[in-house]
Amino acid sequence: MNLHAQTTRTAAEAALIDSFAARISDLPGDAETTVHRDDALELLKAGLPTRRVEAWHYTDLRRLLSTVPAYRFESSAAQVAPLIDRAELLPVLNGAANTQRGGISGVAVSRLADRLIEGDLTSKLGVADPYDTVAAINAAFVSDGYCLEIEDGAQIDRPVEFQNVHAGGQVHSRFAVKAGAGSKATIVERQTGSEEALVSSVSHLDVAEGAEVLWIVLQEQPDTVSHLAQFTATLGKDAKLTLFIMNAGGKLVRQEVRVTADGEGSSFRLRGVNLLAGETHCDVTMVLDHLAPDTFSTETIRNIVTGKAEGVFQGQIRVARDAQKTDAKMACNTLLLSDEGSFSAKPELEIFADDVACGHGATVTEIEADHLFYLMARGIDEKTARGLLVKAFLAEVIEELEDEAVIEALEKKLDAWFVEHG
Amino acid sequence: MPAVQETIDQVRSIDVDQYKYGFETLIESDLAPKGLNEDIIRFISAKKEEPEWMTQWRLKAFERWKSMEEPTWARVNYPKIDFQDLHYYAAPKNQTGPKSLDEVDPELLRTYEKLGIPLREQEILAGVRKQGEPSTLDENPSDNVYSSGRVAVDAVFDSVSVVTTFKKELAKAGVIFCSISEAIREHPELVQKYLGSVVPVSDNFYATLNSAVFTDGSFVYVPKGVRCPMELSTYFRINEKNTGQFERTLIIADEGAYVSYLEGCTAPQRDENQLHAAVVELIALDDAEIKYSTVQNWYPGDSQGKGGIYNFVTKRGDCRGRNSKISWTQVETGSAITWKYPSCILRGDNSRGEFYSIAVSNGHQQIDSGTKMLHLGKNTSSRIISKGISAGNSQNTYRGQVSAHRKAANARNFTQCDSLLIGNDCGAHTVPYIEAKNATAQFEHEATTSKISEDQLFYVMQRGIPEEEAIALIVNGFVKDVIQELPMEFAVEAQKLIGISLEGSVG
Amino acid sequence: MLEIKNLHARIAEDGTEIIRGLNLSVKAGEVAAIMGPNGSGKSTLSYILAGREDYEVTEGDILFNGQSILEMDPAERAATGIFLAFQYPMEIPGVATMEFLKTAINAQRKARGEEELKIPDLLKRVRSAADELEMDMNMLKRPLNVGFSGGEKKRAEILQMKLLEPKLCMLDETDSGLDIDALKIVADGVNALRSPDRAVVVITHYQRLLDYIVPDTVHVLYRGQIIKSGSKDLALDLEKNGYAGVIGEAA
Repeated sequence: MNLHAQTTRTAAEAALIDSFAARISDLPGDAETTVHRDDALELLKAGLPTRRVEAWHYTDLRRLLSTVPAYRFESSAAQVAPLIDRAELLPVLNGAANTQRGGISGVAVSRLADRLIEGDLTSKLGVADPYDTVAAINAAFVSDGYCLEIEDGAQIDRPVEFQNVHAGGQVHSRFAVKAGAGSKATIVERQTGSEEALVSSVSHLDVAEGAEVLWIVLQEQPDTVSHLAQFTATLGKDAKLTLFIMNAGGKLVRQEVRVTADGEGSSFRLRGVNLLAGETHCDVTMVLDHLAPDTFSTETIRNIVTGKAEGVFQGQIRVARDAQKTDAKMACNTLLLSDEGSFSAKPELEIFADDVACGHGATVTEIEADHLFYLMARGIDEKTARGLLVKAFLAEVIEELEDEAVIEALEKKLDAWFVEHG
Repeated sequence: MPAVQETIDQVRSIDVDQYKYGFETLIESDLAPKGLNEDIIRFISAKKEEPEWMTQWRLKAFERWKSMEEPTWARVNYPKIDFQDLHYYAAPKNQTGPKSLDEVDPELLRTYEKLGIPLREQEILAGVRKQGEPSTLDENPSDNVYSSGRVAVDAVFDSVSVVTTFKKELAKAGVIFCSISEAIREHPELVQKYLGSVVPVSDNFYATLNSAVFTDGSFVYVPKGVRCPMELSTYFRINEKNTGQFERTLIIADEGAYVSYLEGCTAPQRDENQLHAAVVELIALDDAEIKYSTVQNWYPGDSQGKGGIYNFVTKRGDCRGRNSKISWTQVETGSAITWKYPSCILRGDNSRGEFYSIAVSNGHQQIDSGTKMLHLGKNTSSRIISKGISAGNSQNTYRGQVSAHRKAANARNFTQCDSLLIGNDCGAHTVPYIEAKNATAQFEHEATTSKISEDQLFYVMQRGIPEEEAIALIVNGFVKDVIQELPMEFAVEAQKLIGISLEGSVG
Repeated sequence: MLEIKNLHARIAEDGTEIIRGLNLSVKAGEVAAIMGPNGSGKSTLSYILAGREDYEVTEGDILFNGQSILEMDPAERAATGIFLAFQYPMEIPGVATMEFLKTAINAQRKARGEEELKIPDLLKRVRSAADELEMDMNMLKRPLNVGFSGGEKKRAEILQMKLLEPKLCMLDETDSGLDIDALKIVADGVNALRSPDRAVVVITHYQRLLDYIVPDTVHVLYRGQIIKSGSKDLALDLEKNGYAGVIGEAA
């Protein structure tokens, strides 16, 4: 049933459908892949979700996705400097993965397009529900990306950095990582480009028993880009995942996070910093399923809103009946720095197990007047004092990541954003 | 069989003897035929001797309602209601209930006993007889037709004389406290000015339905500068009151006025109306304050989840004036389904809204309740304390919205939302919507979900307190912050009620 | 009064055996001290006697006044007169101490078929007990144990014990966290309860408390068994020479 079924299509809806007709013959994949692509298109034909769909309550995609630009194959995108100097780079430029790349010890790397053609990745192209629109757009149009398989027990010292870089038009990429039992790795996902674009990007992560992954998403799109992203992960027994997300750009951003803690004793940490300026609409929506006993999660999201930006955080923690002794804590804190900006938060708990300790907190505030006064009393002028406090508010989250090089790199990004948006 | 009919039958099966059908003509009947159409609405309006403007108001609502759909966003599940399968008007005297207390659900009677309700009063609550009718407990009722009913009520509420005294005192203060029907006839200027001004006719499916067919409810007007000399309670109107399916309450506190209103009854009332869709509107003008307290303990259905009241209520307060204040306190333990969000529109500068709630669900009850605090004016503040307790196979959801609009400078909200789970077959859910569009807004929201700790329970039981009582004690501690917002007499009963509601939750 | 026969008990969740064939007998009027190094099972024993569900009795029996209490839940045991002063009293938010006392006293009276205590009577009793323990009545308006200092919690335990008038008083490490003045007050409270028809079991790691509550018998608990019993001199000996000697003897 589609509550939002529409009789007339918006320009964007029509453009998506037209794009599909134009592109389908060039998209990689076996016959089954094509079936999935067709299914995904059907979902899009039913119309983009509106605010009447609970999952899209604060991001009326039908209204906000006003245009879908045409593909621009003629322009060329170049890879960018890595977030962390010594990273292994795996770039996808304008929707195409690099065929020339070196190997990474302990990791099998393959091109997503090849895997789609071979048909061993098609199951991932399904959608979870009728409003899984980000996955559907991506499934319909995905052209390339990478698949990584980290060997059991492998300790990958150098971070692996995916880069999804475009030069305008449309780009639909996907990244899949399997972290073998007991392995350890840091993955960076860069999302950036130039010119107006529609970008969809889906990442899958499988963390096997006892493995530990730090995954960093850094989104720095120009303010003309609609960026629709989804990160999904499953956690095996005693697996550990830290997901760090920094949103620092884009016109319309929807970053979905869907994590399933189905291994006993697994733990998940989400840390997010959303820097909103101009007329950005940025929505981070997380659904976390605690399915197994003794699972642990904490989520901390910090946002600053300037200009006319609109920020959204939806976080849903679901604790299944069997997930006894779950410990989950979620916090979303926002500094609303502009009278024209807005922030909406919906931190949900859905709990079916009785032996749990779950909580969430959300605040929307100004800068603490006492703190400001304290700094000013020490002779720091107001503007500088405010800047210091705002930065400290955000840096607190970054500093929770134990890796010094990662912290330093992210704080540099933070500083750069402040220089630009001061 | 349509869902509504099914449930009515189930309620009846415990209450034995039932409605007698067979009224042929509308004008002479006291039970309208099933279904809803313009004629029924005109019939209701005529029965209530309403002026034409009121009839038109109802018809407009009905027109609107026909094009509306039942909301589906709440976390409640129930079979589809056939709205054409309901009676929309039934005068009290034609309702026939059980013949004596022997025919009443023994569980219900046990509860009355625990609450210390005298037998004669139990008859009234259980629907064996109405106020003023002879008690079946009297050996020779014909000798004593009216007195026994009054005696029972007098013993509890000291009714008739008290009511008269109160009415005199209220009149002296200039307070109008009467049924909404009376207000429509006697105070049309006030009703026309305020009715539907907080909950518009087209507000939502149930409110619109209520606007078309409401049959009873209270009206309160407290004039400028008057502090209502007593707490107003539906208790005091027990003579006039027949718990209606579609109650409509309108309370206006004029500039500088204060009123505290208590709604409800701690005893589960036998009630054949499966669907309840009440609308309550509160209006507080400059410097006025309204405190509205509810204890709701309607029939929750049996242990298998059959029967029980569907309670779809729209309650909203408008802090229309500067420095005005509206405070909602609710203790919800009854009904099979509760869909209820007492809200505050903080329109006046410096106005304040409060919501204190205890929602207890057990058996197969489903509660989706919370509040909305809409900050529109400058320097407005709100406070939400919600305590949810789920046991048995129940589902208990807190759903609340706090929003600050562009011009709501210095809006403040504090929300504390705690859930307690008892047993592993129930669910506790928290769905807050926090929306800020003003940089000076400060919103704080905290929520927790936990269970009663084994350590606490062991400690309390070690002092000789049996398990059920120990749980009730700990739960009452958990809800303390809200209990203390209730008027004294309600607080004591509410605590008892929570204990009773949780009975059988320990396995 | 209390007869523990060949008691074996384990943690219900993981099956770890904590009490391994424990025998102990405490007569009416007797004050018995149970001593032992950390981890010997002292607190566990008090929990098992009080009926905590986390432990499973696999063998043996506990008789209280000749009756087995194994099938009773904690509240039933309390109603027969068993009281445990907790090492770490639980905080019960929102429940005023006074309210709690009233509920507990009346629950026990009801279980014994006695009439409920009227409020003025109750207040009188509480006031006199609080005075003896040098407790401020205002404290009793606060939620039970919430925000109480360590010493206040221990006093509140003794207050409850005085008011509930149990037959068997068990004190689990009641001296921990008390300064010397508070210790004296608490000990005086316990001593005032000594009577020919009441037994007291003092569980403690140190001799200190026993200077003030002088025991008739001293038992050493080690690895879930009583390995040595004696008079109050045994406690002094342990204080001087430590547990090593006794443990060595038993092994």
